[in-house]
Amino acid sequence: MKTTKSTISRRHFLQSSSAAITAAGLFGSSPLFAQGNDEVKLQFMYPVGVSGDINRIVTEMITEFNTTHEKIQVEAIYAGSYDNTEQKVMTSLGVGDPPATWLPINSALQTFLSMDALADVTALAKADDIYQDFLPGFLSICESEEKLYGLPFQCSTPVLYYNKEIFAKAGINKAPDTWAELMETAKALTVRDGSDVTQWGLTFGGGWHDWIFESFVRQNGLVPWQQDKVMFDAPESIDALEFWVQMVKAGVMPAASTWQGSANDFMAGRTAMLYHSTGSLTNLRTSSPFDVGVAFMPKNKTYGATIGGGPILMAKDQPDAHLEASWTFARWMTNTQNQTHWCKSTGYIAARKSSWEGEELKSFINEVPAAKVALDQAAYAGAFLQVPGYHKVREYLKSAIDGTLAGDTDPTGALKEATVKSNKEIERVMRRRS
Amino acid sequence: MNQSLLKRYGLHGILIPIALLWISPLLWILVTSVKTRVEVFDASSGLLPQNFIWDNYPAAMAVAPFGTYMINSVLVTGSILACQIVTISLAAFAFARLTFPCKNLIFSLFLLQIMFPIYAIFLTNFITVRELGLLNSLPAMVVPFIASGYGTFMLRQAFRQVPTELADAARLDGCGHFATLWHVYLPLVKPTLVAFAIISVVTHWNDYMWPLLVTNSESVRTLPIGLGLLAKSDSGADWTRLMAATVIVVSPLLLLFVVFQRRFVDSFMHAGLK
Repeated sequence: MKTTKSTISRRHFLQSSSAAITAAGLFGSSPLFAQGNDEVKLQFMYPVGVSGDINRIVTEMITEFNTTHEKIQVEAIYAGSYDNTEQKVMTSLGVGDPPATWLPINSALQTFLSMDALADVTALAKADDIYQDFLPGFLSICESEEKLYGLPFQCSTPVLYYNKEIFAKAGINKAPDTWAELMETAKALTVRDGSDVTQWGLTFGGGWHDWIFESFVRQNGLVPWQQDKVMFDAPESIDALEFWVQMVKAGVMPAASTWQGSANDFMAGRTAMLYHSTGSLTNLRTSSPFDVGVAFMPKNKTYGATIGGGPILMAKDQPDAHLEASWTFARWMTNTQNQTHWCKSTGYIAARKSSWEGEELKSFINEVPAAKVALDQAAYAGAFLQVPGYHKVREYLKSAIDGTLAGDTDPTGALKEATVKSNKEIERVMRRRS
Repeated sequence: MNQSLLKRYGLHGILIPIALLWISPLLWILVTSVKTRVEVFDASSGLLPQNFIWDNYPAAMAVAPFGTYMINSVLVTGSILACQIVTISLAAFAFARLTFPCKNLIFSLFLLQIMFPIYAIFLTNFITVRELGLLNSLPAMVVPFIASGYGTFMLRQAFRQVPTELADAARLDGCGHFATLWHVYLPLVKPTLVAFAIISVVTHWNDYMWPLLVTNSESVRTLPIGLGLLAKSDSGADWTRLMAATVIVVSPLLLLFVVFQRRFVDSFMHAGLK
C-alpha cells in the first residue's frame, strides 16, 4: 500500500490506473507513470458481511498478493454490504468501466450473466485443479449451463445454533435431527409466563428467512428454482411452509424476527435454538455468556442447505492480459493456504478439499468442532435462488412467508401468488435484457 | 402560591421525562461503548457497565483509518456548506427580488430538484463526475451538492419577508445588487441560514451511499463508510465497537450543537421549522 504518498498523488495514481484499464482515460498519458506500463492494474470490489476485521484481513491478503506478484497490482475496494457492492458494480458496468473482479452474493450470478458482464473461465479452470479440488456444492454457485464464471471465495450456510445451558437444564442432551424432533425439542424448551413467552424454543434469523426457507424446501428434496423460473408452489415448498406455520401455531417460534434481533435474542437466552448463518459463529461464540452448540439443520426427506456468500467473479469487458491477471488473482485468493487462513479467521467455510485435509484446519476442528458441522453440512448445500431479478423475487417470497406466519393467508395461496409474481418479474427482466 | 408553583414546575414535569426519552439513545450508545460484548446481552448484569472498558475505542479505530475519515468528512461537509451558501444566496436573491424572463418557470424547475429522490439521479451524477475526471477524489462528493433547490427555496421565502424599503434605502445610499445582498438581506436572514446549515451539515455528514459509490481508496473516504464496516449484516452487529465508533462519529456534531445551542434554537424558532 502506498499510504505514505499524499492524497493528491494517490488520486492521480488511481485515476491513471483506471484510465489504463479503459485505455481511454484523461490521465493515461501522464508521464509520471509511463514506466509502469507493463504492470497490470486491477480493481477488486468486495462487501463486508460478517465483521469489521474482514476488511483488514482482505486488505492484508491483497497487499501480500501485490508484493508477491510483480506484474499485477490489485486495488482493494471495500464497497459496503452485498447490495451496495452490487450497486457499485452495476454503476461501473453502466458506464462501461467495470472493475476487473468483484465479490457479489451468489444469487446475483444470473443477473450479471444477463447483462453479459461475466468472463467464462471454464477453460482456465479445466487446465487447473479447480474441478478436482473445490467442494462441488460450492463450485456450483459460480456455474450456469456447465460453464464456470468465477471461484467460490466466502461461502456460508445456515446452521442450527443451540444454547447448551438451556438444553442441560431441560435434560435434553442432543440437538434435534429431524423436523419432528425439532418440533418436539422446541416445545419442550418454550417457557411461558402466563400468556407471554419468556423463552422461545426456536427462532429463524429474519430478513434472510427466505434463505433459510429454501434450505427447508431442499430438505424436502426440491431446489425451488431454475435459472428462469421459481417453483415456490410445488408440494415440497408448500409442505415446508406448512411446517413453519405449525410451529408458530404451537407457540414455540415467533412469527417474525430480524436478522440482528434474533442473534441478540439468542445471546440473551430469549430463544433456545436459532437458525443463523455459519458466518455468525465467531460472534455468537464470543458474545454469549453460555456454551453455544452447533448442529446440522434437521432433515426431513434429506439434509439440505442453501449457500450464502459469494464467489469472485471476473469482468468480460477487459483485455486478455487483464483477464489473465484477474484469474491469477482469483486463483490466488482461493488457493489452499489462503482458504485455510480465511476459514480460520472469519468463520466462512473453506471451499477447497485440500484446505480441510491440511494439518492446520484439522487442528482447528479439534479446537472448534462447530466448524466441522459446517463443513459436513456443506455436502448437502447448493446455490441460493440464482434467478434474474432475484431482489424482487426474494421480496415476494418473504412477504408470502410473513403473511402466512402472521395468519393473514394460507400457505398454498400465498406461495402460489408469490410464484406467479416472481415468474412474471423474471420474465420481465429477461425480456428487457435480451 | 400553589398555582404559581405548578406553573413553574408543571412544565418541567412534562418536559424532563420527554428530554430523558430523547437523550436515552445517546446514553445507551455511551454505556454500550464501554461494556464487554458478553455484558451487552446479559440481562443479569444490569444497565450500567460493571467496569469501564475503554478497549472498544482503540479496537474500533483499528478497523479503519478513522482519523483520515474524520478530516475528509469535515472537508467534504464544510466545502458543500460553503458552496451552497454562496449559490443559494445568489439564486434566492434573484428569485426573490429581481425580474427576468421565465423567472417562474426556472423557479419551478429548481423546485423539481427537491422532488427527485437522490437515488434517481445517482447514475447521471456518476457519469458527470466521471467525465469531469473527479472519481475517487474529495471533490466528487462535493460537486453534485453545490446547488440546493431546498436551500434556494427556503432563502427565497426569507428574502421576500425583508421589507423592500430597506433595499430601496440601500440603493439610495449607492448599493448595487451585491452590496444590498451583503449589507441588507443576508444579515436579516441569519436564522434561516443557520437552520439551512444544520440541515445541510447533518445530511451530508451522514451520507453513505454517494461517497461509497464515487470513492475507492481509504484516503478519500468519509466516516459513515467506516461505521458501515462495523454494522455487520451477516452476523449481527458488533455492538460494543459499533457504539464506540458511533460516539466518535456523532461527537463533532453534538459538540457543535452544544456550543451553538442558543443560536440554533433561536434560528429554528425564527425559520418556523420544527
